[in-house]
Amino acid sequence: MRLEQLLSTKGLVQQTPKADEIRERARLVSPQPIKLFYGETYDEKGNTLDSMKYYFFVAELSDALREEGFTVDPAILIADTAACRNVKNELQNKYMMLGTNRAQFVEQVNEVYGTNLRVAQMSRYIDSQEFVREREEIMQICKADPKLMEGVEKTVPESKLDIEQRKGFLYSFDEITTIIDLDVKVGPPREDLYDNIARQVAEERGTKGVQSLFLTPTFPLGMNWAYFFANEGIEDHGITAYKAGSKQLHRHRAIIGRSNSDYIKQLLMDSFISTDRMLPNPVLDVGIISEMARRRLEQDSLPITLADDFYSGKIAPDQLKNIVGKSVERYVLSKF
Amino acid sequence: MTTKEPKEKLEQIAQRQHEIKVSAREEELAYYPHKMKEFGLKTIGRFVQYHPSPSKLMKLGVTFAHKDLESVVDAMANKEPWAVVSGLNPSGPLHFGHKQVFDELLWMQQQGADVYIPITNDESYVVDKAKSLAESRRIAYEQVIPSIIAMGFNPKKTHIFVDSDYLDIYNVAMDVSKLLSLNRVFGVFGFGKNEEGENPGTMFYRSAVQIAQILLPQYPEFGGSKPVVVPVGIDQHPYVLLARDVAKRKGFLSPAAVFTKFSHGLDGKGKMTSSRPESAIFLTDDPKVAEKKLKTAYTGGSVVASYQREHGGVPEICPVYTLRTYNFEEDNRVAEQCSSGQMLCSGCKERGIEQVLDYLADHQRRLPEARMRIDEYILRTPIKSILE
Repeated sequence: MRLEQLLSTKGLVQQTPKADEIRERARLVSPQPIKLFYGETYDEKGNTLDSMKYYFFVAELSDALREEGFTVDPAILIADTAACRNVKNELQNKYMMLGTNRAQFVEQVNEVYGTNLRVAQMSRYIDSQEFVREREEIMQICKADPKLMEGVEKTVPESKLDIEQRKGFLYSFDEITTIIDLDVKVGPPREDLYDNIARQVAEERGTKGVQSLFLTPTFPLGMNWAYFFANEGIEDHGITAYKAGSKQLHRHRAIIGRSNSDYIKQLLMDSFISTDRMLPNPVLDVGIISEMARRRLEQDSLPITLADDFYSGKIAPDQLKNIVGKSVERYVLSKF
Repeated sequence: MTTKEPKEKLEQIAQRQHEIKVSAREEELAYYPHKMKEFGLKTIGRFVQYHPSPSKLMKLGVTFAHKDLESVVDAMANKEPWAVVSGLNPSGPLHFGHKQVFDELLWMQQQGADVYIPITNDESYVVDKAKSLAESRRIAYEQVIPSIIAMGFNPKKTHIFVDSDYLDIYNVAMDVSKLLSLNRVFGVFGFGKNEEGENPGTMFYRSAVQIAQILLPQYPEFGGSKPVVVPVGIDQHPYVLLARDVAKRKGFLSPAAVFTKFSHGLDGKGKMTSSRPESAIFLTDDPKVAEKKLKTAYTGGSVVASYQREHGGVPEICPVYTLRTYNFEEDNRVAEQCSSGQMLCSGCKERGIEQVLDYLADHQRRLPEARMRIDEYILRTPIKSILE
């Protein structure tokens, strides 16, 4: 798929730099590869279908740039150290193991779908001298600027502000240090806070800032209109794509290797769906992920038009639920 | 005087009149948002976006705001028990302003709600809206309740009671009055110092009884704690606040509320109300009387047709527009036709008369049967739980 087509995929891409800005960056860093990145933590509830949206997207972005002759480094970071930060001591080992499992899952996705993603784990570099030195430098820059520090504080939910303050906002600084040298960072819209600070710090240091590319938020399956009505603001941020237990809604997620297809089909049938494109559409989201999976399996490079087909009325809501139920079973669930 | 002068004079009058109406519109448009801000209410828009089939009045923004509707939607969506309570003073027959509220109740019943309709003849009596308790009771049974039944409520899910006949409501009022303080009542109603002429006994009585009505569906006799929504005019907000406060203290769920705009009085002097009979078309009005009221109704238009064609009318303040749109139209096209000058008041009234007379004929045809069915709707359940 051409870069422009990929970046304008409705129902998948929420906010993106222009195609030419990405190309410009690729030329700027050449002959070094342009660094494409998606990072995630995880929980013990399993590997989500929603994470695969990001894996597939980074792979597609990488393919599109390679086709244009650029050298690309598409990386998926499993932030195991970060995932362990807020768990009890006795669970540390288990969580590190879960991180390895998640990394293996991405490798498995590479094998099944030919995504060619480089998998990295945070624990492998977080204590390196180079990383610690860079983090220290970033911390100094932020601490010297009250506005930047205010921004760092904003990356932390209010409920965790006290704890993070005591820890010197280490979690946030690890994140900022991790992304500061990237070229294109793919993520959910809620990561804008980190990306903004990373850009401001880069500006202070006179280096290039990370380009943010946000995919559409993730929503739980099998929830009716009342859930969405009562959760004001969910349209903007959704739930955490990579944590199956986000908001304790693991029974409302497609979890790879755990959810059976009949269960997912039922969740899809029970899901809220609206023809108003401003409202959450969890069914369409699963449909687009499944469509990305199909395209990779069948080496089809045509643009994804599922959102347009649905919102233009070509596909009716119940029809979409049926189509998506079949395609997620065929192109994703049956492969693991 | 040249021949041009009268025309110019008329134009000037029309312009002045239009300016006054436009200024009234600005006031009208600012009023509800101001109240929403003051009371911390949320717009109904989000509900309209998400509900699979919101009510017509919600879509039109006539039901414009809510408080805590989030607490009701789960029950609404999952077909669990929930209730709606909306009462009225039987100081006269029902009019189209009432009908608008009952249309909303009907929609809620279709969504699964049990509908409780207290007829507050005691309040009519204590605030001197009725000549006597007996008179307000007679109006309730002869005019109000049959009209409600004729609107098509399901008897199995509708519970109507006339306060003075459902004495158990006073036991409930006694029960909730323990949880009311004078300070709280005065605080919520905006009093605080000596309000000359205000009868504190009446105010306290009305508060306790109205809260009893709102909380009644949550008493054990009706299945206990459950989500309740109260459709009200914005002036009833203090009662909602008090009821929420008492509900918490009783361990009930705090009732939610939806707020509905008033229908304008046909006389152009405020809301449609029984206390100014010329402001309202009653559902029991003779067709000729109704027609006359509409023909002579105040409007948002101009005395000069050419001026109105050019500048349009001001539908937002027009009782004919609200009467037609709130009751008979599915969308806001009357407003568009009026404000663009496409439709003049005479044509609008003509169509309004047709709509009203059709409705009245149909409604009045149903009344005899409705009168025979009153018993099916009257709530008689004794409230024993507070006596045990």
